[in-house]
Amino acid sequence: MRPLDWIVMVATIIAIPSFGLWRARGSKTVNQYLLAGRSMPWYAMGLSIMATQASAITFIATTGQAYVDGMRFVQFYFGLPIAMVILSATAVPIFHKSGVFTAYEYLERRFDAKTRALAALVFLIQRGMAVGLALYAPAIVMSVIFAWPDRITTLVIGIICVLYTTMGGIKAVTWTDVLQMSIIFSGLILGLITVISLMPRGVSFADAVYLAGAVGKLNAVDLHFDADNRYNLWSGLIGGSFLALGYFGCDQSQVQRYLTGKSVAQSRLSLLFNAMAKVPMQFFILFVGAMVFVSYLFIQPPMLFEKTAMRAIAKQPQYTAVEQRFETAWQRRKSAAESLNEARKDDDSAKLNASIAEYRSAQKEIESARESGVRLYEKATGEKKFNDTNNIFLTFVTTYFPVGVVGLVIAVILMAAMSSSSGELNSLAAVSVMDIYRRHFRRDASDKHYLAISRLFTALWGAWAVVFAQFAKNLGSLVEAVNLVGSYFYPVLLGVFVLAFFFPRVKGSAAFWAILTGEAGIVACAVLTKIAFLWYNVVGSLIVVVFGLLYSTINRSSGISLTVVSRCDAGGSDTDSVDR
Amino acid sequence: MKIPNAMRGGEPPPILGRWRNLNIVVLIWLAFLIVLFYAFTRYFS
Repeated sequence: MRPLDWIVMVATIIAIPSFGLWRARGSKTVNQYLLAGRSMPWYAMGLSIMATQASAITFIATTGQAYVDGMRFVQFYFGLPIAMVILSATAVPIFHKSGVFTAYEYLERRFDAKTRALAALVFLIQRGMAVGLALYAPAIVMSVIFAWPDRITTLVIGIICVLYTTMGGIKAVTWTDVLQMSIIFSGLILGLITVISLMPRGVSFADAVYLAGAVGKLNAVDLHFDADNRYNLWSGLIGGSFLALGYFGCDQSQVQRYLTGKSVAQSRLSLLFNAMAKVPMQFFILFVGAMVFVSYLFIQPPMLFEKTAMRAIAKQPQYTAVEQRFETAWQRRKSAAESLNEARKDDDSAKLNASIAEYRSAQKEIESARESGVRLYEKATGEKKFNDTNNIFLTFVTTYFPVGVVGLVIAVILMAAMSSSSGELNSLAAVSVMDIYRRHFRRDASDKHYLAISRLFTALWGAWAVVFAQFAKNLGSLVEAVNLVGSYFYPVLLGVFVLAFFFPRVKGSAAFWAILTGEAGIVACAVLTKIAFLWYNVVGSLIVVVFGLLYSTINRSSGISLTVVSRCDAGGSDTDSVDR
Repeated sequence: MKIPNAMRGGEPPPILGRWRNLNIVVLIWLAFLIVLFYAFTRYFS
């Protein structure tokens, strides 16, 4: 990082939240603080929804994933537009018209206090852990690439984030998100232009795309159905729809965004805007990663993208041989790519096919050589699952991008961390105050009191996030576990909201036990089967709905029997209550 | 299964007259993207 990069980065990070705070001036009631006085336009909500969902790791890891695995990850988002259409027609008008502060408040109106409390608790546990990790995720990468101390990085990002969220509430969060997303889009476009401009002479944009496609890096759609395969069209459309329904329909960090709309129509539009924009945006991010891959065809990549890992294997006796193999493999692949690029401009199909075969073989060889490096590292350190995907894009940016652009890209990544964390902090405060504090501890306090408590909870959750992030380094596999927690809990929340919206005969106890049964079903799926986690969302939601209906039907039947008996005993007293 | 009253009626969207039309446009957009990405995958592989 050079001085201009620092200036660009610091100026961007300070200026954008300041703008958000300026736009949020005058938030003097709880309604304004948590729901922006229900005054937000659709485009602000839409961009804020996208910003909350896109964490720093989205930009770092997605590009790296395209480099390693191609673009098939885009299928993960195919279900999102379907979910947006469903939610804009169901959850948005229902939540809006019921005038609730949180999604879980609706569950008490529909079912009972225990179902609301259980859902709120599930959200607090899951988001409480996720918010710390959202702060910590970019810090890991910054520490590896720039040797910045991760504790300082999380502290600085955390303090800025907590300050503007606590002071300005959701209005500041939303307007900050709007500007952050604009900068993120600009940064991505600038990133792609820079990557393409770094291609060697004689390699056009069309050549670059061809070279990426020839080794499967542009494999965006896989029609083959396989329940164990994490990303294919069907898991994306079906599993992805359920996941997005759960996330956008039941997670307060998203629900709160569209509750701020000035009308139902504005909130519906914000979701449909997200439906239109999200898939192309993810495709674009992955495409940047694929182009980074093409750049590394002509400039030698490091064998491992983590400097500390390279230092660790450099001490090993086999290092020289492994490194030599990698370099030879890269030279071979470079020659093969150049030959293929020339062959495709001739009309000789035999030569073209031979060049493609050689290029693919060279790609397999370099992957195998890199794998040897990974195995050497794992042998040297005893670490089991080495993964440097997150470092690929930033390594490329910091090594080859021009001065100023590096600062902008780093700012984009840090802002992505802040935008997702700020949205989560605000929603955690909303649930803590509305579903727990006001519901169970102090029901009749003044608006001023709840506003002060909301600010206090935002600051407390912020402090928790910063402290959690300080210790995240020692949590190891818990990071993975927390990601899985989302897939464990969203399906049951989705199921219970489906029961709430569409099955009026299902009552509180049925919903409560359905949540617990659904949870048990998901755990059983995870332990006993090998199905990809996206399918948990389908299985878990269906279990909750089916169990809720069955419980309700059985209870209804026994209720009818009891009523008949009591009528006989009482000589036919008049009662309509059959649903217990 | 019952459609909640809150889902009925309401303000129309600013374009295309009805929400149903807007939803169809979104789904057609998704189908178009999938077809485009599939063609992209086939063409470049």
